[in-house]
Amino acid sequence: MVDISTAPQSPPIPTDGPWAVRTRRFGEVSKQVLRNPTTVAGLVIIVLLLAVAFLAPLLTTPNVPDPYQMPRDWGTRDAPPGTPGHLLGTTSTGGDVLYGVLWGARTSLQLSVIVVSITVTVGVIVGSLAGFIGGRLDEILMRIVDVFLSIPELIFALAIAAVLGPSFTNIIFALSVVFWVKYARIIRGQIIHIKQNDYVDAARVTGDSKFRIYLKDVLPNSITPVMVQATLDMGGIVLTAATLSFIGLAQAGLAEWGVLVSDGQAGISAGKWWASTFPGMMVFLWALAFNLVGDGLRDVLDPRTEGR
Amino acid sequence: MTAAAPAAGGTDVIRSPLVASVEGLKVHFGTKGGRIHAVDGVSFDIRDGETLGLVGETGCGKSVTARSFLRLVQSPPGIYAGGRIRFWSSLARRTGADPVDLLSISQDDLLDIRGNRIAMIFQDPGKALNPALSIREQVAEVFYQHRSDDLLYGLADDPPLIIRRAAGQRARGLERLLLKLPPLRGHAAKLRSRVDVHVAEALAETQIANPRKIMDSYPHELSGGMKQRVMIAQALACNPDLLIADEPTTALDVTIQAKILELIRQLQHRHQTSVLYISHDLSLIRQTSDRVAVMYAGRIAEVGDSDAIFSDPLHPYTRGLLAAVPSASHKRGGLAAIEGNVPELVDPPPSCHFHTRCPFAVELCRSLDPELEMVNGHGVACFAHASAEHLGVMPEELPSFAKRTR
Amino acid sequence: MQIREYILRRLMILPLIVVGTSIIVFSLSRVGGNPIAIYLEHEMTPAEVAEIEERYGLNEPLPVQYLAWAGGVLTGDMGWSAVSAQPVTEALFSRIGATLEMAIFAAIVAITLGIGLGTFGGARRDRLPDHLTRIFSISGASMPIFWFAILLLILFWVNLGWFSTGRSSPEIFASIAHPTGLYTVDALLAGNLGAFLNAIRFLTLPAITLGFGATAIIARMMRSSLVEELNEDYVDAARAKGLPERLVLRRHARRNALIPTVTVIGLGFGFLLQGTVVVEIIFRWPGIGRWMADAVLRGDQATIMAYVLFTSILFLSVNLIVDVMYAYLDRRVVLGG
Repeated sequence: MVDISTAPQSPPIPTDGPWAVRTRRFGEVSKQVLRNPTTVAGLVIIVLLLAVAFLAPLLTTPNVPDPYQMPRDWGTRDAPPGTPGHLLGTTSTGGDVLYGVLWGARTSLQLSVIVVSITVTVGVIVGSLAGFIGGRLDEILMRIVDVFLSIPELIFALAIAAVLGPSFTNIIFALSVVFWVKYARIIRGQIIHIKQNDYVDAARVTGDSKFRIYLKDVLPNSITPVMVQATLDMGGIVLTAATLSFIGLAQAGLAEWGVLVSDGQAGISAGKWWASTFPGMMVFLWALAFNLVGDGLRDVLDPRTEGR
Repeated sequence: MTAAAPAAGGTDVIRSPLVASVEGLKVHFGTKGGRIHAVDGVSFDIRDGETLGLVGETGCGKSVTARSFLRLVQSPPGIYAGGRIRFWSSLARRTGADPVDLLSISQDDLLDIRGNRIAMIFQDPGKALNPALSIREQVAEVFYQHRSDDLLYGLADDPPLIIRRAAGQRARGLERLLLKLPPLRGHAAKLRSRVDVHVAEALAETQIANPRKIMDSYPHELSGGMKQRVMIAQALACNPDLLIADEPTTALDVTIQAKILELIRQLQHRHQTSVLYISHDLSLIRQTSDRVAVMYAGRIAEVGDSDAIFSDPLHPYTRGLLAAVPSASHKRGGLAAIEGNVPELVDPPPSCHFHTRCPFAVELCRSLDPELEMVNGHGVACFAHASAEHLGVMPEELPSFAKRTR
Repeated sequence: MQIREYILRRLMILPLIVVGTSIIVFSLSRVGGNPIAIYLEHEMTPAEVAEIEERYGLNEPLPVQYLAWAGGVLTGDMGWSAVSAQPVTEALFSRIGATLEMAIFAAIVAITLGIGLGTFGGARRDRLPDHLTRIFSISGASMPIFWFAILLLILFWVNLGWFSTGRSSPEIFASIAHPTGLYTVDALLAGNLGAFLNAIRFLTLPAITLGFGATAIIARMMRSSLVEELNEDYVDAARAKGLPERLVLRRHARRNALIPTVTVIGLGFGFLLQGTVVVEIIFRWPGIGRWMADAVLRGDQATIMAYVLFTSILFLSVNLIVDVMYAYLDRRVVLGG
């Protein structure tokens, strides 16, 4: 039988390594990402939030000695928004809501950057060991991952932070213990998937060492889903941390959004809505922005996971 | 093959009445880069009882053409940009009523034709059957949808409204619950067993062994050939006037292919159904079709009786294809026998779409759309067969098979 | 793989994971300093401290202590809950009803609304309803549940006065018996419509708050799997049979799209579980979430340990059920190959 379904065409042969291909693809990817209006909206919000975080010391007079503590103005307590000197009002302890909103961005930025760096590093190392070495080590590591995944994130972090005692450092520690697991899983899955691809075999035939293959071929190809997850986690970590400090696990008086919402909660029945509303909105915006961008990235980088 | 099939190459043979007539069909796809003219002015007729083979490469627009009959092209991005598909149902032919234009009739009228007057078989039966529904449920749908009056006939003197709605698949959540309860349960059971009889009959027609048992299975439990038999059973369940078979055997084993082709042929004769056969496989089309339309890049290159096309191809594309058919003297050539690539179909300028690959192409071919002209009893869209006078050009401006230009 | 084999394998792994979880939970209790702290009082002599150590087995090596604790858990003895001044097991069972009732209503909200919205958006891909669904589900995943709860309270409690915090009106609570601990069910058992409506009134806001995140997750998954299913050949085949779009969507595409959606119900349940802590604090709901929050603030380790172990076993069980359901629903995967 004659099959005329395939026109003769030879596919272009890739001539350079994955890093070069990646770099070239970066241009295309960013173009595609920027085509999605919701992703752009997320990026704009992120830029604004980062600007707030960086400019907080210029926009407000830093509290002494510790600028991350809320300043107390006992003379004006529960002032509504629009009060001169207190644009967004004050809390029941005389804290300026605007100060908390601005410095909260700085707190959140530090928190999320620290936790994401730690968890990505740990996750990538553990996942790489499991995926690349395999065998019994893989079995053991993955069972540990299963155990970590058996406790809902927030509850796990809550328990860790609780036994360590209320402090923001402990929240950072608790989140780091909880959040690395996903990266280990992603990296391992990707490595196992990529190990089956032909070009890794080809590299092996040409005599590259295992570690070189790992650096040159496996890692660059595995990093995309990690990037997506890290973007989503930048938001998720702030959300979880704010929840923990809302419950009461950060030191009192910290310029952090969850703490502020918790402080303002008591006043809402008396109509003092502002002390909770503004900081809570910041948490929402922060998480929303990173979720929008992470989502847009996933659509472009990993279309399989989304039915688009 | 059929009684109405004309003699090869005959010009004035009395042909059987039309079942469908595609006239200047244009289907475009809107993309960011422009409009893809997937089907760009296609015309052909299908006559009563005949098999028309539509042959062409992947991407030439043959599947889009086939899907247009039932308006199954997804929109957006698909746009029906022009032309019409006229259709004479058997009833219309008997009563002498006017044909309908499938592209412009209302959605309700279209639903009445789909699966009833025009049915379709898909390429991959594994994908075309719903994995979550039993064979019984899937075949029964056709009867419920199009034969609800027959199902109700004699069921009860005056069947309750809910039963009537159930027979027409219009029963909603609460009604479906009521159907499971007395007093309606008895009626509903009777209705179901009637449908089961029809389903079993339809399956038995396709020579499936043990239809009653097959009815209770799910698609993943059946082989590819069995699944295609089920597809055929539900397609022919309502005795359609036209069966569209879109590469019905491509996904099947070679041994099964022959059986399925034979089955379609037998059933076609029994039901007096016209068939539109879509394939990229020339020898299969030659085996099955009374007439053949050769499609290239969204247009018909050549159309005519099967024997005429295969014995006396006129279009350089058809000639190239036939030269590629392996025979005792030739090795298998594939399409490599025709050099060059299919042109981009994004907003194409007027031209013969084949000029990029045609060894005889001249200036005229690159600047004007050729039209189908009747030559030796079959239509061909090539300036080499056109009349210079008619086009208003000098005869030497026409391409000639005598001199190759590349 | 046969489905029975699959379930058996999952059931065999489950105890191992539970053991692992219990080790983590136990380690947690020892990370935060010597648990003897809560038993100590002022002016205790070293001998008295030693005696307490002896009594609670705190001078034994850690593995022995773990086994003693695990043995206790298995026999229903999880220690003394300082925050509720009663044995942990008793405290847990007296509060579980409240949390369960809220979680069930939240799950009903999340599943119906999530599937509804996902279908609504997915069937109208890339048109306005689809974009709105997308915005809704991303907002849901980004919403700090404590803030959402407070916004609802400001609107519906402070400004409109429609709802209130707490679980029921005291006079209505006293008017009926509470055999199940689920107030809506108790009211129905007592045949008291007023009490039922009262229970619903108190449930509405917390259930909506709690269900929001899970609704978003389910809507998102439903939307994308429906979009995927609508591109399948069998959908066109169903259309080619002459079925109206309503049936093509409901009987064909949606049924298959529900299969992958089932998998995120487990994830959504995790959202519900962890959400209860915050929601119960804000709505003053007397369930195990608030019990945990109290324990966290007071350093009540026995309660924290019991809560974490209990919720993770619940979480694991729901995920097991979900996986089994998925394996059962998706004939293509398990039985096909």
